[in-house]
Amino acid sequence: MKMKKMVAGLSTAVFAFGALAACGGGTDNETSNEGGSSNENKPEKIVIWEDIEKSETTKEVAKAFEEEHGVKVEVVEVQMTDQKDKLALDGPAGKGPDIVLVPHDQLGTIADQGHLTPITDEGTLDPFTDAAKSAVMFDGQAYGYPKSVETPVLMYNKDLMSEAPASMDDLYKLSNDVKADGEYGFLALWDNFYFAHGVIAGFGGYVFQEDGGALDPMDIGLNNEGAVEGFEYIGKWYEEGLFPKGLIGESGGQAMDQLFTEKKAHSVMNGPWAVAGYSDAGVNLGAAPMPTLPNGEPIKTFMGVKTYALSAYTENQEWAEMFLQELTNEENALAMFEAYNEIPPVAALESNETITSNEVAKAVFDQATNAIPMPNIPEMGQVWEPMAQALQLVATGKQDAQKSADDAVKVIEQQIQANNQ
Amino acid sequence: MAAIANPKSPDQRPDKPTNHARNAGLLSIIPGLGQLYNKQYAKAVAFFIVVVSYFAVNYDLFFKGAGAGPGDRGGLWGLITLGEVPGPRNDHSIFLMVEGIVALILLFFGIAFYVWNIRDAYRVGRARDQHLNLPSFQMQLRNLRDHGFPYLMLIPSLILLVFTVILPLIFTFLIAFTNYRYNNAPPAKLVEWVGFENFTRIFEIDIFRDTFFGVLGWTLVWTVASTTGVIAIGIFLAVILNQEGLRFRRLFRSILILSWAVPAFITILIFRSMFNESFGVFNTTILPALGLDPVDWFTNPTATRSALVLIQWWLGFPFIMTLMTGVLQSIPGDLYEAATIDGATIFDKFRLITLPMLLFATAPILITQFTFNFNNFNIIYLFNGGGPAVPGQTAGGTDILISWIYKLSLGANPQYGLAAAITLILSFFIMTLAVIQFRRTKSFKDEDMI
Amino acid sequence: MKKQKRINLAISYVILTLASIIILYPMLWVLGTSFNPGRTITSTIIPTNPTLVHYKNLFDLTISDYSLWYVNTLKIAFITMALAVILVTITGYVFSRYRFVGRKNSLIMFLVLQMVPQFVAIIAIYVLLNMLGLLDTHTALILLYAGGAIPMNTYLAKGYFDTIPKELDEAARMDGAGHLRIFWQIILPLAKPIVATIALFNFMGPFNDFILASLVLRSPEKQTLAVGLYNMISRQFDNNFTLFAAGAVLSALPIVILFFMFQRYFVSGLTAGGTKG
Repeated sequence: MKMKKMVAGLSTAVFAFGALAACGGGTDNETSNEGGSSNENKPEKIVIWEDIEKSETTKEVAKAFEEEHGVKVEVVEVQMTDQKDKLALDGPAGKGPDIVLVPHDQLGTIADQGHLTPITDEGTLDPFTDAAKSAVMFDGQAYGYPKSVETPVLMYNKDLMSEAPASMDDLYKLSNDVKADGEYGFLALWDNFYFAHGVIAGFGGYVFQEDGGALDPMDIGLNNEGAVEGFEYIGKWYEEGLFPKGLIGESGGQAMDQLFTEKKAHSVMNGPWAVAGYSDAGVNLGAAPMPTLPNGEPIKTFMGVKTYALSAYTENQEWAEMFLQELTNEENALAMFEAYNEIPPVAALESNETITSNEVAKAVFDQATNAIPMPNIPEMGQVWEPMAQALQLVATGKQDAQKSADDAVKVIEQQIQANNQ
Repeated sequence: MAAIANPKSPDQRPDKPTNHARNAGLLSIIPGLGQLYNKQYAKAVAFFIVVVSYFAVNYDLFFKGAGAGPGDRGGLWGLITLGEVPGPRNDHSIFLMVEGIVALILLFFGIAFYVWNIRDAYRVGRARDQHLNLPSFQMQLRNLRDHGFPYLMLIPSLILLVFTVILPLIFTFLIAFTNYRYNNAPPAKLVEWVGFENFTRIFEIDIFRDTFFGVLGWTLVWTVASTTGVIAIGIFLAVILNQEGLRFRRLFRSILILSWAVPAFITILIFRSMFNESFGVFNTTILPALGLDPVDWFTNPTATRSALVLIQWWLGFPFIMTLMTGVLQSIPGDLYEAATIDGATIFDKFRLITLPMLLFATAPILITQFTFNFNNFNIIYLFNGGGPAVPGQTAGGTDILISWIYKLSLGANPQYGLAAAITLILSFFIMTLAVIQFRRTKSFKDEDMI
Repeated sequence: MKKQKRINLAISYVILTLASIIILYPMLWVLGTSFNPGRTITSTIIPTNPTLVHYKNLFDLTISDYSLWYVNTLKIAFITMALAVILVTITGYVFSRYRFVGRKNSLIMFLVLQMVPQFVAIIAIYVLLNMLGLLDTHTALILLYAGGAIPMNTYLAKGYFDTIPKELDEAARMDGAGHLRIFWQIILPLAKPIVATIALFNFMGPFNDFILASLVLRSPEKQTLAVGLYNMISRQFDNNFTLFAAGAVLSALPIVILFFMFQRYFVSGLTAGGTKG
């Protein structure tokens, strides 16, 4: 309503100077659904942002919800990685959704900026696994309902590899053997910290030291002895030509997928999201937990939990929570798994046959026992870029591991300090 | 006072001088009253209506806020304070700031109209003082149409420009003096005015300072290399195409112009794939065919930089070629004939006649080519996202200033204040250059001032 | 002398043929790729098992919104072109023929101010559009494009109008023609080359912008080609290069056609508009 006045205001002012008043033509009446609290019992509709090309299940649940409760749920597809930035604009403008879908590691940042509101009853999270529950906690409050859990595993082509090797040393040997044929035994995007973390942590590095359940952003372990060893191990694969040069940077993912689907790479490190593409391309896909590192430790991959969170601008929190509890319940989580390979972090489903019989899902569950949830404190936002830089420098052999790691940590510390003054 | 008592003065020619100008001017402090005094009734009513409606409509915007943001306040208050209570349903500093700027712009227009109203009344009054015949309403309208025509015609463009160019500019300028950044942003926190802190941060914090100078250096190299190359290739091909006796001229020109006809956005993405280190045609087909080793196009800064410059040459030359073709056709043929008689070789002719004429005639456009490449965001961003990484700085090896500003303002962890400060520094450079150059060009020199 | 000339011509043919190959190669390559089965980059120009499946997929709404983007972009491009041509020619004409306050400096001022990068102010544009209720509308995008086009194009248009003799205006005025009629009936028909040039520049604009478009247009079905194509190729874990190639070929088509239709005007349009300068 105010909006209209504004339009009228601008255009009249404009008109007063004899110009086209046409500019203000498109008034948007839809936006006045802020009526809110007085008739809180039945909002006109609630809006949820779902990831693109993954909304069919959600739409079905929404339909059922509307039939049962008489509240329409509008499902809008927005790329998950864009939701954080879009919420920051659309929220205050009054055009935001009630529910967003974000990776749990962003929860802290978004909540800290004030765009999220915690859920009312932590007890409603009981059906989820402990790891998933802890992933959505920030600052002592729960910020949403877990949708699915992801962690990279070893995916291999069964036509080229009869079974998954148990150790990285085996893979290393294989890679050396097939190198002469222009093939690759194993590929991983280790210039990307998301994937490289498993190696660095396996050798003893860590992002933030855990201190009684909370993370200490002042204690960074990415250039300790173990971390540097991890960097060196990563560098070795590039340096010896076991990874192709094109595996670095923006188009690295594309390069890896292409080599794997063209049967030039025997195995890759990738997450469950890649399964559809690989199967479509005709790869006889097998999956297993990541092999152990030369020091006998497992690769401690990052675990991510896609989380439905509540916008701070919502007027319909109660209904939004009710819908989410329904959307993430056992039955619908299973449907989501069947439709999109989204592995549900629901405790009751861990032994469900549909899931355990799925090789990838089983590998993810097994790997998850060694995985570390990505830190969700806002300081994590400072880690990605400097680490990607350091990894790229090591991968291209431009700088040695120790110096790269030291530089990265210095930048991270500087930025955290600069931002917390 | 006598003047008011004696309004029929025009034909009576009294001895006493009248004070219509002063009176009318003073009266128009209330718009319309001065015109009323000057007996221009229709105009008076029109002015009055305009001003009253202007205030009625904009009162909220100026003093209460028009509800652009979540809170209920706004207007000029919001611009000064940037809000008092943070929170998702309260003051949002950035929305308040934009609303305040809009209020400011409209206020400016209001004041301009107001001043004009006073001047108008004063002028008409002066005409009466000098006992000139007052123009009739019809004549005024015609007058408005004749003298006002340029202004009337410019108004739509002006309004669009004010909102698409001036408003963003004021916003950027103001943000440079705030502590707006990703972890100090509404709704959780309010943005505050911090003076020159962002400017000192650029030069005091090592990593920002190193990045700034690193990026600035490459920006200059990039601008000069890409632009001069484009110009040289463009001129070269234009001259060749313009040779006497050349056949298939149209065919060749049509093919060469293709790289301009296909949207650059698409071609850059295509090149990105062609340069791919593992599968791209360059590394798999072209270089081996020439007996060369594959090049790490995306991970070696020098290689990426060279690729970028080559691509920009490819993209940019048809424009210059087309421009130069036109100029070439206008160079009088007898110049060449005279030169031939004097025994000049073909290269002499090019160096002494063609080149100077081409460069001289197209100088202003060539300058815009430099500024275009200085700000050529698309190619840098689309080709390799400014990469590869370079130790010790926050921007990549091929980032130019504008793509660094993009990363700082729209990338992960935005630092809007800092980005705005760098924008201002960069703008200062370009503007100085551009103003000097444009003022030198002919069209603004040989024309009479008003 | 004649021999020298013939050698020169021979060298010229070699150079021109080489240049043509360099220009055509990437285009033929992308054309070839668009007929290639699979989703990945290959280096062959002539596909071994050519297929039209990618083109079919582009227009299958269950696979891709490409057809929507296409319609949106064409619509935006045409309206932007029309609006910009009207605004720019009128403004250019006024700057060329009339004397008014601020004439000398305002054009340069806008031209220069426009060079300031606006990334920081993206948020301001968002808020302004929200105030006007224009978010997520094509109208907003068209106004932004047209507004952005004014300074540079006006400069070109003014340069061209300056080359048309003022005596024409005066003669028409003697005959009693009004301001707009002189502009519309006398001057504009003489300025076809610059009109064509400006029209084309503005038609191309929406095909090259992905930043403003992704800011203004919030719903997926309202997107433009540039945003859609960029997302198609930039998603790190799921990109489909052959589909992109087909999409790229079809997107370039309208512009290339328009380009060759208007080509004969460019030389005179640019030279007069840009060099009188």
